[in-house]
Amino acid sequence: MARLFRSSAYRLAFLYSALFALAVLALGIGVFFAVHANFRREQDRTLQPEAARVLREYTEGGIPDLSRSIRKREARPNNNFSYAVITRDGRHLVGSTRLAQIGPGLHSAMVSRRGGPLQPARVLGTLLSDGSMLYVIVDSEELDRLENQLLALFGGGFFLVVLMASAGALLLVGHLKRRLERIVVTAQAIRDGNFGQRVAIGSDDDEFDRVDRALNAMLDRIDELVTNLRQVSSDVAHDMRTPLYRLRGEIEAGLNAPHDSAAQHRALQRALERSDALLTLFSAILRIAEVEGQSSTDFDGGIDLAALVTASCDMHVPAIEDGGRALHLSLDHDVRVAGNRELLTQAISNLLDNAQSHTPVGTVIAVAVEDGELDACIIVADNGPGVAEEDRPRIAQRFVRLHQGRSDPGHGLGLNLVATIARAHGGSLRIEDNRPGLRVTIVLPKLRDDRAVIESSQLL
Amino acid sequence: MRILLVEDDEITAELIVHGLGSFAHDVVHVATGSEAIRAVDDGDRYDVAVVDRLLPDVDGITVLRHWRANGVHLPALMLTALGTVADRVRGLEGGADDYLVKPFALSELHARLAALQRRPMLGDLPTQFEAGDLRIDLLARRVRRAGREVHLKPREFDLLALMMRHAGKEITRKMFLESVWGITFDPSTNIVDSHISRLRAKLNHGFADNPIETLHGVGYRLRVNG
Repeated sequence: MARLFRSSAYRLAFLYSALFALAVLALGIGVFFAVHANFRREQDRTLQPEAARVLREYTEGGIPDLSRSIRKREARPNNNFSYAVITRDGRHLVGSTRLAQIGPGLHSAMVSRRGGPLQPARVLGTLLSDGSMLYVIVDSEELDRLENQLLALFGGGFFLVVLMASAGALLLVGHLKRRLERIVVTAQAIRDGNFGQRVAIGSDDDEFDRVDRALNAMLDRIDELVTNLRQVSSDVAHDMRTPLYRLRGEIEAGLNAPHDSAAQHRALQRALERSDALLTLFSAILRIAEVEGQSSTDFDGGIDLAALVTASCDMHVPAIEDGGRALHLSLDHDVRVAGNRELLTQAISNLLDNAQSHTPVGTVIAVAVEDGELDACIIVADNGPGVAEEDRPRIAQRFVRLHQGRSDPGHGLGLNLVATIARAHGGSLRIEDNRPGLRVTIVLPKLRDDRAVIESSQLL
Repeated sequence: MRILLVEDDEITAELIVHGLGSFAHDVVHVATGSEAIRAVDDGDRYDVAVVDRLLPDVDGITVLRHWRANGVHLPALMLTALGTVADRVRGLEGGADDYLVKPFALSELHARLAALQRRPMLGDLPTQFEAGDLRIDLLARRVRRAGREVHLKPREFDLLALMMRHAGKEITRKMFLESVWGITFDPSTNIVDSHISRLRAKLNHGFADNPIETLHGVGYRLRVNG
């Protein structure tokens, strides 16, 4: 029992059934007393006219007329009343009913009819002019039987209510426990290392299904982050070995030429470049981690994409032109998204960096903002050599460089950062064939109603 | 320049003391926040402070708050391993005048300290600057060289304005990116160089000498005397 009451589900369910039973009990008692009072009043009302009728006989003909009238009345088959006249000295003058001497007015008393046992009854006593008492009596037995029936009915009903409430409570508790158990089982499985385990979801779309779905979505996100983290750690370990090994080589070369200061200087210069490259790599990794942990609550409400893309392109145009390439801009206006200005700028900047460093001189880079029904697109396309179809899904992955070698600049994280930024904004990155060249699209969810956004932000 | 360095990591501190010392600066090093507070309270005069954000006792932001609350207007550069935008904002709100994320190049630190030292007090910011035969009016957004008007694009104007505010001091590429474009990341194409070369072409049109000096691997410097 103590264990039962440690379960808050049981406690709640039983408390609920007890309250329900109490309410039914209060209702029953109320109804019983109301019915009882009503019956009594009805009975009392029939006594008064009957007493008046009998009394008229007395005033017209005295005791003899009264006795005759009473006998006649008692003989009637459907008469509910019985009568008694008791003198001042306690003799029963008329009628077969016996009762104790009581005063005038309405009373509940015990009476015996025709020598039978004492039974409860309602009695109306009237003082006659000769000092004796006239009693008109109506049987309470009928009423009591009715009331007893009522009580029995209520008792049975109450028992049934308690029974059903308890059964309902047990069912409810069982259901609650079963649903909660699924979550507990999942949590334990995950604790034991089975990260793929998810809460089984029912088909009702009820509150529990919603909780379960929310939990599963949370677990998916955590799983994704953990997997990502593990992936990054191993990627970093792999990708860091080569540059560190080269750095070590440069330092060794410097140490091996103790008398050649020019060679030493050269080695130091190269070592410095290698460490700078390593630091850049670290910054890029940290940046991706930072963006992945970015919360959308820090987002700027309504960024005008056309303005943002124009500013980013203005920043790059001189360098692009100096490199012998051209940049064309085509903008849909009044496209707004929620996001982080600097991150979006960096995404565009990275795409422009790529479009310059992986294409030959003379390439035309086309940047566009396109307004879709639900999404807004930032497109950076070039007419350069492009990327082979089988490589396209790969190039946005971490540390993927298509042309491994000294001539290929960068650390293989640029496009990955763009994809991460797109994801952090609830969007995605599309990599397609530009026929010829490469076409990279950042798809971002659009703000649908500018006014609604402004109003809601003002409310906050 | 007399510099107060507040840094708990011995190796980093040694590198900075040695590095800035080679630029003929006088660097005083303390390792804890409480020492830093005491050093300034004792009335020692410094031109600029370099404060590490994470210190063993009182952290860097608290040190700056203490200084600012006590009316110490010593220009301060905050040094930190925390580089997110939110961290920068917190540092600058805490009273830092500039913010540098570790790891950094010594030349970057040096250039920023030089810029800090010359930063004017709030309230009397000049709106016109002169360097050699160059004049810039920040309010009218007008540039003249030897009295002749030079028409610049908005970003070119911003680049020149930054250099003229710190004429004679080196400005790193990072400083340009932060100040002119407001970005804290480092694009891999050299954006700054291309913009500077356009600015240069416009400024030098019809003139023989070049007022913008290139400092290889660091940034640029505007010559004070033509």
